[in-house]
Amino acid sequence: MREVIAAPRPGLDLRRHYGHHQSPAIRAGGLIFCSGMLPVDPESGERLHGTLTSEAHVIFENLRLLLESAGSSLDRLVQVHALIYDSIEYDVLNRVYRQYVINGPPARTVWAAQIEAGFKVQLDVIAGA
Amino acid sequence: MTEKPRRSVIEPRNPHLNASRSANLPHVPGVRIGDYIFLSGMTPIDPETGARRHGPIGEQVRTTLANMQHMLESAGSSLERVVRVHVVLADISDMAEMDRVYCEFFPTDPPARTAWSMQLRFGNGCEIECVALAG
Amino acid sequence: MTAKREVVHLPDRVRKSATGVGPASGVVRGGDFLLLCGLVAIDAQSGEPMRGTTASETRLILVNLKALLEAAGSSLDKVVKANVLLHSMLEAPNMNEVYAEFFPDLPPARTVCGAILPHRMKVMIECTALA
Repeated sequence: MREVIAAPRPGLDLRRHYGHHQSPAIRAGGLIFCSGMLPVDPESGERLHGTLTSEAHVIFENLRLLLESAGSSLDRLVQVHALIYDSIEYDVLNRVYRQYVINGPPARTVWAAQIEAGFKVQLDVIAGA
Repeated sequence: MTEKPRRSVIEPRNPHLNASRSANLPHVPGVRIGDYIFLSGMTPIDPETGARRHGPIGEQVRTTLANMQHMLESAGSSLERVVRVHVVLADISDMAEMDRVYCEFFPTDPPARTAWSMQLRFGNGCEIECVALAG
Repeated sequence: MTAKREVVHLPDRVRKSATGVGPASGVVRGGDFLLLCGLVAIDAQSGEPMRGTTASETRLILVNLKALLEAAGSSLDKVVKANVLLHSMLEAPNMNEVYAEFFPDLPPARTVCGAILPHRMKVMIECTALA
């Protein structure tokens, strides 16, 4: 009924690397609830600060790894909260975002919020199982 | 293995409320998956013209929730089937006035709600998203 | 209509802990899930906001969350997702330390970010759990 999706790569275990008390994702009720994905190296867990563009690419690739390991995919995204550090980068976000949601984008709300460690972007997503 | 829940896109009957399509944005107004409907955040848009409709926060909330009602009804659902709402305000001091109008749309057995303040684009006073059950 | 929607009736001893957030039901059943309001640190007896440190507010919220979930027939170990809003991300470790006490094993998925919260509270936690 409630199943923990383990980190598919060692770097995505944020609990081990950063003490973030969370599972990478939980599958329940036909949905996959993902922890907010950050731009970290999927092998080492190292923070990969950069531009919003470079950070978004890392995040989407990490989400791809996570969702595919759970039998889902980026095509099965249903809801995204796109956290950005400042809404002035909205168009920048879109430019990267478009590249990953080609086959039918999900519902989305952009949150201009303070993100940990000075990251510029974080994606909080729900996908279909 | 159980069948994967079916995923489909929700679109409003009123094309003025489909800003993501007209502006070629990488999101859709909403997605249905199985019994659940996830709507994208909605902002105060004049349903007659598609233009931003600002003014006092109460009017912005009313516009936004009326549009949300339309979106849900276009998907065969309704405000009564909403289970969770997120209300984001540009100004936290608008909470009381927002509550006053919000009550008009959810008078009884209201959904769970989380409301807070963040930076919003275009001078919008509010942005509202919801999760609902299919009709 | 297939999926069930129901506002969960909450007993008096827990109902007030889900207030302070305006016109909302504290716990709503939607299909397989319970969707809760964003909770802030409220004294469950009086319904008064209990502003304190990030740690003290986190603790009170999670004590209340446990009681709300159990009153609704669920439990902390059925929480699938938590969204944590903080008045400052500098305070995330203080929240995290208390949070870990309440979800010792197989914790839910979580997203944490900084935002402006109602009533000058420091922490707000919104959860989704299996019914």
